[in-house]
Amino acid sequence: MNSASTTAPLSLDDLHVSFGGNRVLEGVNIDFVPGFNGLIGPNGAGKTTIFNVLSGYVKATRGGAFLDGKDLSDLKPTDRVSNGISRTFQSPKLILDATVLENVLLGMHRKFRHGHVTELFRLPNQRREEDQAREVCIDMLEEFGLAEDAHKETGDLSLGSQKIVEVCRALVAEPKVLLLDEPAAGLGANDVTILLKGLRKFVQEKNLCLVIIEHDLELVTALCPIIYVLHFGRIISEGSAEAITTDPAVIEAYLGKGYAQDNEKDQGDSSAI
Amino acid sequence: MAQVKTNSSGYPLYPPKPEGIKGQQKLVSAILTFAFLAALPWLPILGWLTIFDTGTNYGLGNLAFVFAYAAAGVGFNFLIGYSGTLGLAHAGLFAIGAYGTAILSAPPECLEETCETIIRPAVAGYGWPFLLTIPLVCIFASLVGVVVGFPAARLKGFYLAIATLALGELIVKLISLDEKIWSGLKTNGGTGKQVPIFEFFGSGQLKSAYFLSLGALLITFVGYVIYTENRLGRTLKSVRDIEIATGPLGISSTYYKLIAFGLSGFAAALAGAAWSQNSAFVNPSSFKTRLLVFLLVVLILGGTGKLWGPLIGAIIFVYIRQEFQDSQKLLFFLIGIALMLAILILPKGVASLPDRFRDSRWAQDLRRRLKTVKI
Repeated sequence: MNSASTTAPLSLDDLHVSFGGNRVLEGVNIDFVPGFNGLIGPNGAGKTTIFNVLSGYVKATRGGAFLDGKDLSDLKPTDRVSNGISRTFQSPKLILDATVLENVLLGMHRKFRHGHVTELFRLPNQRREEDQAREVCIDMLEEFGLAEDAHKETGDLSLGSQKIVEVCRALVAEPKVLLLDEPAAGLGANDVTILLKGLRKFVQEKNLCLVIIEHDLELVTALCPIIYVLHFGRIISEGSAEAITTDPAVIEAYLGKGYAQDNEKDQGDSSAI
Repeated sequence: MAQVKTNSSGYPLYPPKPEGIKGQQKLVSAILTFAFLAALPWLPILGWLTIFDTGTNYGLGNLAFVFAYAAAGVGFNFLIGYSGTLGLAHAGLFAIGAYGTAILSAPPECLEETCETIIRPAVAGYGWPFLLTIPLVCIFASLVGVVVGFPAARLKGFYLAIATLALGELIVKLISLDEKIWSGLKTNGGTGKQVPIFEFFGSGQLKSAYFLSLGALLITFVGYVIYTENRLGRTLKSVRDIEIATGPLGISSTYYKLIAFGLSGFAAALAGAAWSQNSAFVNPSSFKTRLLVFLLVVLILGGTGKLWGPLIGAIIFVYIRQEFQDSQKLLFFLIGIALMLAILILPKGVASLPDRFRDSRWAQDLRRRLKTVKI
């Protein structure tokens, strides 16, 4: 898709996570490259757990994750965003009684130079900084077709739009790695088109490394040149869309036998889920 | 007026405001309200309400109490309504303001014959200028607020409430035990302490207390408006509503909870200082859990998360308190009933009544009819 460098900004090295005796991840090795990376697998396979390790909610029991060769476990969860990791959540985590713009502004929290004391006295430098931040956020919302709604209460937006707002909030932090947890679930066809158009642009222009957890197989296969299939905490298959959809292990664990038969019938036109 | 700021494609950066005076509605109504309150001592037009009749010392004092409780309520609102942190050390922080300014501004001890007037240890202090002691005591109370807030880093809900409640009580306990801890505290133990009276240009104790309380309310109001409409406000809201997501956004929820504790401590001490000038005497028993309950009533009755909530709550509370001051049991019974009714019928307080009315089916129907009449 893009002529990105081949060095992986984010890599998982022998990542193990267990909750008590329950082993959730058992030795996951992935080098996420710039561009779209798909992460699929049945429910409970450990996809979100990988994201939770990356954003610091969960500690790795063995192995770890490395951002540009730096061990992420050395970084506090709150310092990860300024080092280039942003994420969204499966169900959007937004302040519903704040405006859309205010929610997006939260993503720029670490970009502000002025403290809260200057804010109290409304000094010109601080106001200029707030203006600039607002402009960046409005531009981002415009990119995703939501600039009209910038001053609406977030709770009044549809779930699909809320998910896009969350993507905007993650992007204004100018991440190197963006983790999207089921971004298209609950979105209408129109919203998906807008979302993908915006994301493609960022991947191409900013050389962003995007990791997508998604159940919509059609979307993932169309979008991601490389897909990882997780099953019971292990990577059972990785490669191009074609390679994984024909992999017998993947069909057995995730796609189901029906998928292969459907595919033969109508060239993958039917919904995979 | 400045031009509307937009991005390069013309989308406004700030929520659009109506043109002219309507856009400044909030500011204008606030200025008018405060100007009205500042003129009240010379315009005793609330005479029909004996409790708030500013022509009498009684009414003036009652209104000063209203402002002091409201100022403390605004600070409490910041902590509970905005950051969603149930910290209950507010009465203790209020006591720091009341005792702190009284002790620091009282004249130093003097028992010699050569002294102009003999000052016994019970009323002695450090002799600092009163207006200087206010900011110092408020800053000290914010620091204490931050220390009290440390359990907030690990505790939530009820557990946090109980931990901070105990720490607030501890402050009051230390005040009543001063001789056993450090005689330099000069709080005069459990018997209470005379408050040295500060007067603005010889305007008398009550008027000075009135304006100090009104000033405290104004400062907390301005601080509340600026902070809640800017970055701190939205960041605190994120701590309240989406704490789970604050880590990946780079927001330290612990840090912001401590900021909220500090600011609420500042407001509580400011209110306490004004309150003590009005009551002229401070006693540890005035700052026990009862005061905390009063402040909670002021906040919940008025409306959490609303700017005018604490002022409305304080007016109602002081009215009930003065009307039923002769029978304490009935007073607490009524306050309990009022609190229960507020929680059941108006969970967002009396200040949410206009919103409730605007969103009611009846008002919507009325608006629709008025529209058709015009056409």
